[in-house]
This record gives sequence, C-alpha cells and structure tokens, in this order.
Amino acid sequence: MAQIVGGIGSSHAPTIGSAYDKGLQQDPVWAPLFSGYESARAWLDALRPDLFLIVYNDHANRFFFDAWPTLALGVGAAHTQADEGWGKRPLPDLKGDQAFGWHLARSLVDDEFDPTICQEMAVDHGVLSFLPMLAGPELAIPVVPIAVNVIQHPIPSARRLFKLGQGLRRAVETFPDDRRVVVFGTGGLTHQLHGTQFGTRNQAWDNEFMDLLESDPEQLANLPLRDYMERGGTEGVEMIMWLAMRAAMGTTVRRVHRTYTAPFTTGYGLLALAS
Amino acid sequence: MEDIVSGALLFTGERSARGYRINKMAMSFTAPESRARFKADEEAYMQAFGLTAAEKALVRQRDWKAMLDAGASIYLLLKIGACTGHALPHIGAHTAGRID
Repeated sequence: MAQIVGGIGSSHAPTIGSAYDKGLQQDPVWAPLFSGYESARAWLDALRPDLFLIVYNDHANRFFFDAWPTLALGVGAAHTQADEGWGKRPLPDLKGDQAFGWHLARSLVDDEFDPTICQEMAVDHGVLSFLPMLAGPELAIPVVPIAVNVIQHPIPSARRLFKLGQGLRRAVETFPDDRRVVVFGTGGLTHQLHGTQFGTRNQAWDNEFMDLLESDPEQLANLPLRDYMERGGTEGVEMIMWLAMRAAMGTTVRRVHRTYTAPFTTGYGLLALAS
Repeated sequence: MEDIVSGALLFTGERSARGYRINKMAMSFTAPESRARFKADEEAYMQAFGLTAAEKALVRQRDWKAMLDAGASIYLLLKIGACTGHALPHIGAHTAGRID
C-alpha cells in the first residue's frame, strides 16, 4: 500500500540554491531559513520516504510559450537539471519513478485532469533550489515532478490546485505497490519581480496564508487569483501550489515545523505537516 | 480582462503573443553556446530571431521596462540579463522606473 506520510510547503528561488552552493548556511541572513530546512530534514529522514511528489512551476526553462502546458507530469526514469541561462549547478540528476508516474497519469486523467505527460523533464529552481536541503546533496529519493502554469494567464485557480491535491491523494491511495510518499507544494511566498511595486513582500499575508493553510484551507481555495496577486504580487501567485500539498494531506494535519523569513525580494516560507 | 495588478503587468496570452520574438530569443539562452553567440554578435543574433527594428533597439538600449511593455516575460528578461550582466535587482528596479 502506498501512503502519504508527510507534506512540505516551501518557497523556491534561485537565490536559495545559490546561497546553498556558496555555503552560506551560517550567514546571519540565511541561517534562519537553513536551520529551518535542517529541522524539517531530520523529521523527513525519520519518515523514511521513498517518493516525493513535487507540485511546482517551470520558469520558462523546460517549456516555452510555443507549447505551454497548464499541467505537466514527469514520468521518466530520471529528470535532468535545466540550464536557466546562467549555467547548471553542481547537482546530480533526479531519479524518477516510472511506475508511479504512469499510474498518476492514469489516475489524474480518470479524475478529469488533462496533464501533458513528459518522458523527458528537465527541472529548474522550482524543484532544485530547496531540494538538496531536504533530500541531501545526493538527491537519492525519487521524484515525480508536477508542473503547473502560474506564469502565462489564464492560470488555474486556487480551487483547481486544491482539487489537484485531492487527485494526488487518490492516486497514492490506489497505487498497488508500497510507497511512502511526501507531497510538496512549492512557490512564493509573496514577491513582485517587476513594476512599480518591485521588491514588495507582504509578510502579514505570508503568515496569515501559512496559518490558514493549516487551519482553514477551504478559505484559501475560495480566494480568487486577483486577491492573491493584489496581496502577494503577480509572481507571488505561485503560492497557490501549496494548496495542492494541503489537499493531498487530507482533512486534519499536525504542524511539525514552520519557518518564515524575508530578507530579499521574496518571502521565504517553510511548513512541514504530518497527517 | 484588466491586465494591470498593483502596478504590475499581468502576463496574459495576448501579451505573450506580442512579446513572442523577444521571449523566444531569450529562451534560446538556456543553451550556453547560444549565450556565447549572442555575446559575440548581438545584432546578427537578434536578426536571426526576427526581432523588429523597434525590439532590437530596446535590447540594444537594455531598456528592460520597455521590453516588458513590449510583451517580454520577466523570467525571460532575466535570461537576457544573464547575457548582458544585469541581474534581478537592476532589471526589477528599472521596470519600476527607479533607475534609468
């Protein structure tokens, strides 16, 4: 029997990966975030997971606007690292999980989702910026990446992401073999990368969002995208991907860990939830 | 659809279509050899991607705000910036009108 043993919400940002590569774990600006990842990793290790389902977004690295999927799954045996325009980081390829990947494809299509199914999937900082801190630099735990369009409008609603998470849970529950699955929702938190409000974070909303994600995710699922963007930036709308993780966790959750810091242009959040 | 949110441009399909040439050129910079070719001869590279005279001028001038207005995605602008030595703090501040 496959089962979901934990959920992680995490920001992703090129700066996080770059700080990790430069060894800035003890730097006063970065230490709060990195020590958060360390605590979350200790908990994760104890769960002995053998599959990560990571709901994230590609930032025009694997996909381009010639053919831009609203939802895409990586079902290959491995996932390479995308070069985002400034060279690749010193990281190994990710392992995939073909058996679960194809099962997930079938299950989601049965559930009336329409994913683009990718036998080759290069992943960018949406997956790789935080993953070495949680999985270790060898990136040994297999990943099925689930890419969501949050860049080129129309983009799916928060409610749709919530339903996607429920679909992930059904897929895990119907998988015939054993897997100990951790579901990740990544992105955000608030950030505005262009325009007159460039650099603005909304720390009050970031924290309220993490509160509600735990206690009242329905309220977040009902919130229109325009509200997300007005509160958290047009790029900060990424945070809706955390809803997929939350829905996959089922009704009640127990918070294991939470970190928040916002030293640069993006609110960095980390939330670890147990069933 | 109202496509401005709190001073930011909503990257709609229509905007994406308008900025397609610039974005497509920027996407090519995910290959290191393409970055090298652009750096060696920007004009020839822009010509090969069919940029209009106006679009070429914006790239030449490193006018990030105008490129954004012309339909470039912020994520693709960052790839052009990686070739020209401009990172997010500069590009973002330029689109905000805080620097020339």
